[in-house]
Amino acid sequence: MKKTKLFSFFFALLMFFSLGATFIKPAQAANQKQVAEGSILKKIKKSGELVVGTSADYPPLEFTTSENGKTKYVGVDIELARDIAKDLGVKLVIKNMSFDSLLVALETGKVDMVISAMTPTPERKQSVAFSKIYYKPSGEYFLVNKKDKDKYTSIQSLKGQTVGAQTGSNQYNLVKSQMKDSKLKGLGKINNLVLALQSGKVSAVVVEELIAKAYAENNSGLAAVRSNLKETQAGNAVAIAKGQDDLVAQVNKTIDQVQKKDLISKEYLPAAAKYMKTEKKSNTFAKYIPYFFKGIWYTIVITIFSVIIGIVLGIILALMRLSKNPILHWLAVCYIEFIRGTPQMVQILFVYFGIGYLISNLSALVAGIIAIGLNSGAYVAEDIRSGIDSLPKGQMEAARSLGLSRQKAFRYVIIPQAIKNIWPALGNEFITLLKDSSLVSVIGVAELMYQTQLVQTSTYKGVLPLFIAMIIYFIMTFSLTRLLNHFEKRMKRNDND
Amino acid sequence: MTMIKVEHLKKSFGKKEVLKDISANVEKGKVISIIGPSGSGKSTFLRCLNVLETPTSGKIIFDGQDLTHISEKELDILREKMGMVFQSFNLFPNMNVVENVKLAPMKVKGVSEEEAEKQALELLDKVGLKDRAKQYPSSLSGGQQQRVAIARALAMNPEVMLFDEPTSALDPEMVGEVLKTMQDLADSGMTMVIVTHEMGFAREVSDEVWFMADGCLQEQGSPEQIFENPQSPRAKDFLSKVL
Repeated sequence: MKKTKLFSFFFALLMFFSLGATFIKPAQAANQKQVAEGSILKKIKKSGELVVGTSADYPPLEFTTSENGKTKYVGVDIELARDIAKDLGVKLVIKNMSFDSLLVALETGKVDMVISAMTPTPERKQSVAFSKIYYKPSGEYFLVNKKDKDKYTSIQSLKGQTVGAQTGSNQYNLVKSQMKDSKLKGLGKINNLVLALQSGKVSAVVVEELIAKAYAENNSGLAAVRSNLKETQAGNAVAIAKGQDDLVAQVNKTIDQVQKKDLISKEYLPAAAKYMKTEKKSNTFAKYIPYFFKGIWYTIVITIFSVIIGIVLGIILALMRLSKNPILHWLAVCYIEFIRGTPQMVQILFVYFGIGYLISNLSALVAGIIAIGLNSGAYVAEDIRSGIDSLPKGQMEAARSLGLSRQKAFRYVIIPQAIKNIWPALGNEFITLLKDSSLVSVIGVAELMYQTQLVQTSTYKGVLPLFIAMIIYFIMTFSLTRLLNHFEKRMKRNDND
Repeated sequence: MTMIKVEHLKKSFGKKEVLKDISANVEKGKVISIIGPSGSGKSTFLRCLNVLETPTSGKIIFDGQDLTHISEKELDILREKMGMVFQSFNLFPNMNVVENVKLAPMKVKGVSEEEAEKQALELLDKVGLKDRAKQYPSSLSGGQQQRVAIARALAMNPEVMLFDEPTSALDPEMVGEVLKTMQDLADSGMTMVIVTHEMGFAREVSDEVWFMADGCLQEQGSPEQIFENPQSPRAKDFLSKVL
């Protein structure tokens, strides 16, 4: 008996994956279609939009500023993107995401090109194409705490220390290959690296000159020190999916113009510097309140919709799991076990980049809601099942003896009681969901955590925005707890218990 | 007229044979009490009648259909005609008394809320609990809960009522009110099958008494026959202990 059960479990698991495989096949086809030769330029012209991916935490190359309470992307790379869009005669749309997600976004057609201080290394060239070099940074710097300014001045002086660099960046690889005696700490966002620096988690952060100087200038506790890292392939270029020769040619044409007129040092950098100065002048937190409000709004939207998906899916899965039909039963078991056995972060990335193959204009917000809802469904299903299992058998029998079908018995008798039994567990699940919604910041959904990171970048301050975010999250979860308790009490009163 | 015809009914749980080849008829309008020692299969037999337990083999013929060989859907329709009252009442705790009674008529028969409510209140009046209509089951005594359960089963206008030890879970002082309700029901001509340990009641109210032991129907007869002149040694032994 036990053996056959185990066997059918694996069989169902196998079915589940082969089902998944059939899903992925058309996905690959869609992907190939998306990056078919010369297709992106056509797509840009047709939609009238150039979608540029960037990791806007790298002043003065790309960063954010607040204008009338709205986030504005600025910096050298953004200026270049604007000129490219202008030359193509289309509107510019900036998609901000963490640096290590940029190339995936490019390969999956989420963005048309990536302009994010990216160095064309041989490894990257294997997966994407690059334009000409448009900007040569003047060299790598160590960003250190001011008190260490004279201590950490070279690769040798950082021996045995932890050194930070942006994951997937050129600096990251430089540290890996040239600073073998130091421990390397990679993080996706520069602002988190700076935070790690300030809190002593790393002794130095490797960034290029302009960025190091920008942080040092805006944060009195930091200093920029020229490093002795040797760079072989310096220079930034625009990354474009492979096989888009026409688009590369267009971009190169713009870059030629930019270089001929020396726009980077004559216009782009002064413009960026101006934004950085205004940032410095008016770095009061009041200015960033709209950021947090926008974040709260998105967090609430994500939570509400994910909870709805979670409940509906949870009920369906719980009923499937309790069903007498073995196929439905094992499908539900596999889904629940699989979702509970994989990290939510991976699921979010998978939905955005993976399912995004199938639905090419799946927005990050929708992908985030779907991912969290799908995850929540598995947990809600287990909660409901345990709630149903905990009911006396006599309830189902009494309902059936009255002529209610199994479905009706579930609907009118079993589920309402189960929901009441599991209300505390469900409440916990929804509070967890609200907190976990912060994970979708990785795919660039403008919820609270993401906004917090923007504020960190814009203010060059690490801890205070995090503290504010924590307080806001707490207020939200606490209010939700009170609300759920209120309903729990009301249901109890109904019962006259 | 035969209402339920049981032919060669067998039921096993795993390797344990609980019912061993039982054949019997329930005649229309008759009140039948099933008595016997604990573990004799009385409750299992009763629960097989409306297929809450699926028989291992044999036939149960009700309304011209063999309940062991019909679809879930057809079974649901036939169950409407068989009311059941449980030892542990099994009222729905999330609904008040009147909601308990009117749920099935509304959701199964599609009776309008208004009409269901009216009928429910009439039935509650019959079992003497009209004034408790808006209360929740948890605030009622066991005897009151069981009377509500009877009203709930009656709301579907069943042709036969099955009682599974309806007074076994009650405090002694509450047994009487439930038996009284059942007595009234019997007097109204309802066909009833009652698994019970209340020998006095079985003797008073029943038209027929069935004695079960060891998964077999040992003896059937009028209350006088069974109680005064039992034939089988198992029945003699049992009755000498309980009477």
